[in-house]
Amino acid sequence: MYLPDFDYHLPTALNEACLLLAQFGEQAKVLAGGTDLLPQMKNELIAPEVLVSLKGIEGLREIEYIQGKGVVIGAGATENDLVDSKLLREKFLSISEAAATMANNQIRNRGTIGGNIVSAVPSADLPPILIALKASVTLVGKEKTRVIPLEDFFVGPRRTVILCDEILTQVIIPDQATTGSAYVKFGLRNSGALAVVGVAASVILDGSYVKETRIVLGAVGPTPMRATKAEHLLIGKPVTETLLEEVGRVASMECSPISDIRGSEEYRRDMVRVFTERALRKALKLPSLEGMEDS
Amino acid sequence: MVPIRNIKREKSRYAIDLVINGDPYSLAVKANALLLDVLREQLNFTGTKKGCELGDCGACTVLLNGKPVNSCLVLAVEADGQHVTTIEGLEKNGKLDALQEAFINNGAIQCGFCTSGMILSAKALLTSNPQPTEQDVRKAISGNLCRCTGYVNIVKAVLSAAEQEERTSHE
Amino acid sequence: MNKGDYAVIGKSVPKIDARLKATGQALYVADLKFPNMLFGKVLRSPHAHARILRIDTSEAEMLPGVKAVITHKDVPAKKYGISPARYDENIFCIEKARHVGDKVAAVAAIDEQTAYRALKLIRVDYEVLPAVFDPIEALAPGAPLVQEDYPGNINVEVHQSFGNVEEALQRAYYVRKDTFVGHRTYHSPLEPHGSIATWENGKVTLYTSTQKPHYIQYYMAHEFDLPMGNVRVVAPFVGGGFGGKTGPTDLDFSSVVLSHMTDRPVKMLYDRSEMFAYNRGRHRLIMELSTGVDRDGKILGIHANFIMDGGAYTGNGIATAYYSGALLTLTYDFENYKYDMVRVYTNLPGCASQRGHGGCHPRFALESQLDRIAQHLDMDPIEIRLKNLRKPNTVTVNDFRINSCELKSCIETAKKVSKWNNKREGMPSGGHGIGLAVGSYVSGAGYPIYRTNLPHSVALIKVNEDGTSAILYTGAVDIGQGSNTVLCQMAAEAMGYRYENMRIVSADTERATHDFGAYSSRQTLMSGSAVKEAGEMIKAQILQMAGEMMNVDPTKLDCRDAIVFLKDDPSVQKGFGEVAREHFVKKGLLLGRGSYSPPKLGGTFKGSTVGTSPAYSFAAQVVELQIDKETGAIALKNAWDVHDSGMVINPALLEGQVHGGLYMGIGEAIWEEVRFDQNGRILNPNLGEYRLPTALDLPMFHASTVESSDPAGPWGVKEVGEGATVPTEGAVANAVFDALGVQIDSLPLTPEKIWRALKEKERSHGT
Repeated sequence: MYLPDFDYHLPTALNEACLLLAQFGEQAKVLAGGTDLLPQMKNELIAPEVLVSLKGIEGLREIEYIQGKGVVIGAGATENDLVDSKLLREKFLSISEAAATMANNQIRNRGTIGGNIVSAVPSADLPPILIALKASVTLVGKEKTRVIPLEDFFVGPRRTVILCDEILTQVIIPDQATTGSAYVKFGLRNSGALAVVGVAASVILDGSYVKETRIVLGAVGPTPMRATKAEHLLIGKPVTETLLEEVGRVASMECSPISDIRGSEEYRRDMVRVFTERALRKALKLPSLEGMEDS
Repeated sequence: MVPIRNIKREKSRYAIDLVINGDPYSLAVKANALLLDVLREQLNFTGTKKGCELGDCGACTVLLNGKPVNSCLVLAVEADGQHVTTIEGLEKNGKLDALQEAFINNGAIQCGFCTSGMILSAKALLTSNPQPTEQDVRKAISGNLCRCTGYVNIVKAVLSAAEQEERTSHE
Repeated sequence: MNKGDYAVIGKSVPKIDARLKATGQALYVADLKFPNMLFGKVLRSPHAHARILRIDTSEAEMLPGVKAVITHKDVPAKKYGISPARYDENIFCIEKARHVGDKVAAVAAIDEQTAYRALKLIRVDYEVLPAVFDPIEALAPGAPLVQEDYPGNINVEVHQSFGNVEEALQRAYYVRKDTFVGHRTYHSPLEPHGSIATWENGKVTLYTSTQKPHYIQYYMAHEFDLPMGNVRVVAPFVGGGFGGKTGPTDLDFSSVVLSHMTDRPVKMLYDRSEMFAYNRGRHRLIMELSTGVDRDGKILGIHANFIMDGGAYTGNGIATAYYSGALLTLTYDFENYKYDMVRVYTNLPGCASQRGHGGCHPRFALESQLDRIAQHLDMDPIEIRLKNLRKPNTVTVNDFRINSCELKSCIETAKKVSKWNNKREGMPSGGHGIGLAVGSYVSGAGYPIYRTNLPHSVALIKVNEDGTSAILYTGAVDIGQGSNTVLCQMAAEAMGYRYENMRIVSADTERATHDFGAYSSRQTLMSGSAVKEAGEMIKAQILQMAGEMMNVDPTKLDCRDAIVFLKDDPSVQKGFGEVAREHFVKKGLLLGRGSYSPPKLGGTFKGSTVGTSPAYSFAAQVVELQIDKETGAIALKNAWDVHDSGMVINPALLEGQVHGGLYMGIGEAIWEEVRFDQNGRILNPNLGEYRLPTALDLPMFHASTVESSDPAGPWGVKEVGEGATVPTEGAVANAVFDALGVQIDSLPLTPEKIWRALKEKERSHGT
């Protein structure tokens, strides 16, 4: 295999990068960790003529807490940066744990949260938990900057609302009174596996009643999607075994999985049922029924 | 007559500096040159292997600033100014690293093709976690495929090396 | 003589090449570089079945940096293959391409990128033809014809009958008939195939990642009409083979031709997807198995009726066709056996030998069936095996002579170490399961692949002038299993020398000696026999010379650990080195020669040679797992292998082979499958979707052996490398059966398949 030729640009400032992207438009791609981009190029699925590297831009890799904003993760933070971040583990352990399920150690040392989001692969592991935790993303263009909820970022497989001159620079997870959150991934082996089904759940309890919840399904639709009917079923109710089973069933009917090499539509749907329940149990720190580890 | 696109692109060479196994190397590379190929073909560090070219097997693992990465997915230009450790860099003054000894003595090497990458992943583990559990070891090498050993003796070797280092540090 | 009496063998000495591999110094074919070297690539058909109307290479030839472009016009049109009975392949497709990936042309260029560019400039006009991807469809009248010389797409048909199976099944107390499906899997060694050819004075040297330098030499000589002496084949370090590096590849042929045309060394490598396209992996097998037992569970007769998907080319798949039936009789003693099989051409990559060669999928079928029969008869699965056990010094129903056989011991030990009785539950519940399967395998094939009276292995040992080292020359190939180490141990033992002073030149048809190579798990027994003979010849000369020097009758002397000593008073000694030097000065080179050919083996029926072997290994494996009943996912808890491998030369290396065998069998049982789309394109030609288990997917494996020794092997050795994969699929399937009570008839046992089986069970039981 080989990479086609391309021009390589190493801007030292964000605006310079945006200008380059604006200049080259469709011919250019952003290079962050390269773990999705380079395989696509080697497999001859894409052949960008220009790569704009983010390596030279300062400040894209920080993970910090900003009062009034929440946890701000630089888009250039690698997946292992997310796994190892003390701050993230303290505030949103479910994000670190989601990152730990991704690909393998070597890939996680290069692949970035920004790349995982912008690549918009339906089975990506970070978007579901980030959406469950109400994340928004900062998109910096050559002229303006905007912040949009991550939930509104995805349009379809490998399609997002990002404009050709924009760079995703930050993921912001706002302060929230979440009782618990979790991401459970079902892959066909324990490392180096894409999600057949991925479910993220975040719950706010008021006493024993569910006050607020988000259930986000990954790998079972063209984009990560909220199982809104399943969410509504939980609101205002106390958590019981029966309710969790019902929530799982409803979530499984809301999604639109495809049949592919990793699983049939029928199987995926049933796994949404199983893993929605497991995600909620994990988020609520309830003992798992099977005694099985999820990953 | 086939138009040859972008002659400029092909002629462009980027000057990069790599510190490999502690030594400085100044190179001129093309934009599309992968770190794996620069190591193997330009610099003759053939200990790093090409197994799948897509980051699935780990045979090309090197340490980039101490962290294991798949060198088949790192552009050489992206490694500019950084530290690379290949398998050749583990031996110091003719003395093998404890991991290398442990691999040799614990039957952890059969065909040897995964060995370079496997040892480097283990090296990074022991550097950050000198007392790993079996599960820690399995996690650390889960991005390195081996077709020969079932990982059994590899795990034993890494745990043995950890134990050996622990003993040496107390002497 | 028991283990304790040996100086070198029986000990887990570190591998002779371990340090080279641990330091990255071992050179595999892709690591080799030659001055003025070119880089080559092969152009492959994107269609599964297509007539080639026109190939225009003119634009490719004009690309700066391209030195040669070749198609079928530039190479001999002579067909080749592995077995002369089925030479059905050309270096490049002539009239048509027969599978996606079939070789159409090749280029040599100054660098890899130019070679890839040149491939894109070759214009091929194809006329796409209807293709067939399923063996049953391929057999149906009117199916597209894959190979013109084989009407009905029948590649090989086997019909063997022993005793009277119909009658046996008639009088059986219970007959089970099941149809099992074994799937296409692929060896996927970690090192891709590669070849470098270079010519000098009419002689070609081919460096290639191969298990069989001799056979590659033979095919090159045959195809290019060269004397064998003008072809030198060298295997550098090989990063695994598992049966997939046993045939000549398009890289071998193309590099030889391109190098000849350009008069420069030409290096050609597969990428991972090309490895999958070349394939020659395990056959998909549709196995209709009927087994009849008496009321005590004794097998009265078996009818195996198989259909094999052979792909577009035979390779050594013809041997697989026979092995698939032959090996079933080894572990159990029954008198009536019928084996019918048809190996079918399809427009998919060819299938051939893969670790366990024909032994694994049929074993999965028979072992699964036995567990079901045992359940019906309310017998423990171990009990039914013991009832039918192969005993030593018996002959199988298909005329294979078994000398040593410690299968009973293997089973009883496996039962103990796995704590079988504690773990078997009455009713399946909770998803925990434990399963057993047994297997057996040849220690080398009784007959070579082409008809020849050449010995199977030849070895030469040269002691250097002052005896401080000895060089073993052997054509045997170390593909990771450790043959270089084991053969040096055997040489040192036979010589009375020290392993540490051994050097080895191997896997080189010119610089080493003739040997058929690493396949059918032959080298420890066969190459080892030749090595032992060579070593004994050295020792005899040493003792003779020492006798002269010490003025003692040589029969009163012995040699061990490089010290010659008087048997009656070991303090009277002479160093091996001193004696060797004296020999060199007085008599010249101190050489030892050895040679091995197996005795004439096997019956007289058609195909009787396949499955013959001087000795057979036996094994019992137990797999313990836990199934998540909601998802069907299997978590492996433990796996045990207890092996009868005869005398064990290097216990650590044997264990390594067992670990690897279990790894492959488990991978194939649960995760691995080569899958195709409706156009015959491989869907998963990469290591992301062709799932090899990772370190996080497996438990520790436990390997052990039982005391055994076979008269046919040097010091009693037998094989282990392939026998360790043979029972595994069966053991996993039986563990699943134990866990869930569901009978799954096809592999792999993916979570979805188990999920479906559970739903089906629920539905039929109304629970």
